[in-house]
Amino acid sequence: MSKPLIQLKNIVKEFDGQLVLKGVSLDIEENEFVTLLGPSGCGKTTILRIIGGFLDASEGELLFNGEEISSVPPYKRNVNTVFQKYALFPHLNVYDNVAFGLKIKKEPKDIIEQKVLRMLKLVGLEDYGRRRVTEMSGGQQQRVAIARALVNEPAVLLLDEPLGALDLKLRKEMQHELKKIQQEVGITFVYVTHDQEEALTMSDKIVVMRGGEIQQIGTPTDIYNEPINAYVANFIGESNIIDGVMTADYRVMFGDKHFDCVDFGFRPNEVVDVVIRPEDLDIVPQEIGKLRGTVKSVLFKGVHYETVVETKAGTSITVKMHVSEPTPATNDAAHEKISANDFYLDMDDISELDDAKIIARADAQAWNTETDELVSISSVKYEIRHENGTYPVTFSTAQDTSITVNMVVAEENRVVNMAYEEEIYAVNFFKTTDDIKESIALETDLKTWANASAWTLDGAAVNITDVVYRFDAEKIRPGTYNVTFKTQGYEFVVDTTDCYKVGDIVGLNFAPEDIHIMSKG
Amino acid sequence: MRPFRKMAYPYVVWVALMIVAPMLLTTIYAFTTRGNDVKTINFTFANFARFFSDPIFLDVLRRSLWVALITTALCVLLGYPAAYIIARANPRRKILLVLLVTAPTWINMLVRTYAWMGILQDNGLINTFLALFGLQPLKLLHTDFAVILGMVYNFIPFMILQIYTSLTKMDPSYLEAANDLGADKVMAFLKVTLPLSVPGIISGITLVFLPAVSSFFIPKLLGGGQYVLIGNVIENQFLTSGNWNFGSALSLIMMVIIMLSMYITRKLDRDESREDGGRRL
Repeated sequence: MSKPLIQLKNIVKEFDGQLVLKGVSLDIEENEFVTLLGPSGCGKTTILRIIGGFLDASEGELLFNGEEISSVPPYKRNVNTVFQKYALFPHLNVYDNVAFGLKIKKEPKDIIEQKVLRMLKLVGLEDYGRRRVTEMSGGQQQRVAIARALVNEPAVLLLDEPLGALDLKLRKEMQHELKKIQQEVGITFVYVTHDQEEALTMSDKIVVMRGGEIQQIGTPTDIYNEPINAYVANFIGESNIIDGVMTADYRVMFGDKHFDCVDFGFRPNEVVDVVIRPEDLDIVPQEIGKLRGTVKSVLFKGVHYETVVETKAGTSITVKMHVSEPTPATNDAAHEKISANDFYLDMDDISELDDAKIIARADAQAWNTETDELVSISSVKYEIRHENGTYPVTFSTAQDTSITVNMVVAEENRVVNMAYEEEIYAVNFFKTTDDIKESIALETDLKTWANASAWTLDGAAVNITDVVYRFDAEKIRPGTYNVTFKTQGYEFVVDTTDCYKVGDIVGLNFAPEDIHIMSKG
Repeated sequence: MRPFRKMAYPYVVWVALMIVAPMLLTTIYAFTTRGNDVKTINFTFANFARFFSDPIFLDVLRRSLWVALITTALCVLLGYPAAYIIARANPRRKILLVLLVTAPTWINMLVRTYAWMGILQDNGLINTFLALFGLQPLKLLHTDFAVILGMVYNFIPFMILQIYTSLTKMDPSYLEAANDLGADKVMAFLKVTLPLSVPGIISGITLVFLPAVSSFFIPKLLGGGQYVLIGNVIENQFLTSGNWNFGSALSLIMMVIIMLSMYITRKLDRDESREDGGRRL
C-alpha cells in the first residue's frame, strides 16, 4: 500500500488550558473523500484548521507526503480550503475571486483565463464571471468558493461544513455535485460535517469524533453496520439502544428475555449496550413476536412511519389531587383578601421548613381588592411535631387579614421498581379550580405541585416522561382526581410501511444478526 | 408606525430652524445687494461677478484647495498605518490606543492651535530647545509648514477612526482565505485588506477635506495675517468689511465646490468597486 498523503500523529490541541484535541492520529490517502463527523465542539474543525495551517498543534506531528509541515505557513501549503461562510472577497467579481490564487502565483494571463473558465464550467457558473459575489445566491457562492479553491490544483481540498447554510434540496444537489467534482478532479477531499447523512452519502472514509477523540474510522457501510459503540451507533442514524447482559457467547439478555445473537468474546454476564436499528425491526402479530408491546406514537416520515412501541411500561406513581372552589378570606375593613391551600408534607420536609417554603407550598397570597395589587404576608404561625397528623397554619398580613389551612404530614408516597432500578416519588396535593384552569403548562405544573421526581437507585435523576390524568382542565369541578406520573419504559423505534394505531398491542421481531452488541463506555 | 411619526416633529422643526433657514438666508444674501429690508429686495449677480473677475480671489481659492488636498493626503498616509496598528492590537491595548487618538479632541480646537503657536514661535519650545545646543533658531511659525501641521494635527483623528472602523469590521476569514490561496502577509494586505478598507478611507477623506478647505482660524493663527485662505476671506467679509452679501456669495461658491467634490469622491468609490467587478471577460 502506498504512503498516506497526510498523516496526523498524536495531535493535541489546547486552547486556554482546555484540551480540544486529545491525541488524534489519522491517515488520509490520496484521492480519498474523508469526512470528519461529529457534533459541534468535537474538534473536527480544529483538525481541518491545523491541516490548513491556520492553527498550530500543541503537540504531535503533521506529515504531508511524509514530510513534517507544522512550521510551513498556510500560503506555502499545497492545500486549499472552502470556508464555512465561503469568505469570498466582496470587492472582486466571480472571475477575479476564482483567479485570485493564480494571479498571486503570477501565472500568465491566458493560462489564468483558461483555468478559471474551465473551473467555472466545472461548477456550472460559466456565464457568471462578471457577477459580483454579493449578488449570488448561497448555492452559487458555494460553487464559487469551490472553484476558487480547486483552480489552484491543490493536493488536498479542505471543506468546513460547506453545505451548512443551504436549504435541504440544494444541499442534496450539492452533495451529489461535490462527489462528482471530487471524482472528476481526482484529489483528496477532507470534509467536515455534523450531518451523518451527508457523511454516509459522500465519503470513502468516515472519521467519527467525540470530545476531541476519534471514536471510529471506517467506510460508511462499516460504520453504519458495525458501529464500535453506542455513541457511534446513535450518531450514525437513529438506533434503539437498550441495556443488556451477555449471558454467554452468542446469547444476550434484554427486556427480561434471552435472545440469540452473533456476537461473542465478552466477559460472562458483562453489561452491554444492545443496538437494534429501526429498519431491522418488524412489527408482527403479538403471538409470534419475540417481544410484545403497545404502540405509543406514530409519526409519518414520508417514506415510512416511525412507530414507537413500548415493550414495558416505566415506573409509575398515582397521587390524589383534591380540587376545591377558591375560598379566600376577606378583610373588608382593610380591603384585602387572602387565599391558601391545604398541603401535604413529608416527615423529611419538616426539619427544613421555613416561612417562605410554607407560603410556596400553600400557594398563599394576599391582595388588595381595590387596587388588585399583591400584599405581602407578614406572619406565618404554625406548630408542628415530627409525627403524622394535621397541623393548622395561619397566614396573615400587616392589616390582620388572615386565613388558616392545614399541613398534613403523612407517610412518604414512593414507588420503587427493582426491575428498572429506579424509584419515583410524588405527594397528594390540594388545588383550587382556578389554579388548574389558569395553568398554561398543566403537565409541568402537576409535576411541580405533586413534587414529583424520579431517580435511579444510585441517585441519578430520571425524567418523568408521562403525566396521565382524566379530567378536562377547562371544565374542572371540585372533587378528587387521580394523577399518574410515569418514567420512560423500554421503547423501540420501528420503521414501518404500515400505519399502526396508538394503543395497538403488537409483537416485535428481529433476526440474531440484527442485534449489535457493544461494550459500555 | 403612526405614533412614532409624531416623534419626528421636533427634529423637523430643528432642521428647518438650524439648517434650512440659514441656508436660505445665505442664498438670499448672495444674490442681493446691500441695504435691503423686508419690502425691497434688489437681486444681483454682482457678488459672483466680483469673485470670478478678481484673480486674487481665485488665487486664494486655488491655494485653499491645495492646502486641503495636501492635508488630506498626509492624513491618509499617516492615519492608515496608525489605524492598521490599532486594529491589529490586542483588545486591551486597542482601547488605550483609540483613547489616545481621541483624547486631544476633548480639548477645544482653538486652544490646541494656540498651544502649537507656543511650540513653534521664534522663542518657543522648539527653538529654545535648539538654542540649548547652540543651534540657529528656525523660522517655524507663519509658514506653510505650520499651517499644514496644524491642520493635519487637528483633523487626523477623524481619518484614523474611519479607517480603524472599516478595518475592524472586516471579517478575518478574508485574510485566511487570501493566505490559503497563496498570498503572504504583504500580498494579502495589498489585495484584500487595502481594497476592503477603501470605503473607510473615502469617508475619512470627506471628514478631513471638508473642514480643511474651509478652515479659517488655523491659517490665521499659524500662518499669520498674510496667510489668506478662502475661509479667512469669508470671515473678513462678515466680521471686518461688513459685506455680508459678498461673504454669502463666497460661502455659496464653497458649498457648491464641496458638494461637487463629495459627489466625485462618492462616484469614484462606487466606480472603483464596480470597475473591479466588471473587468475582463
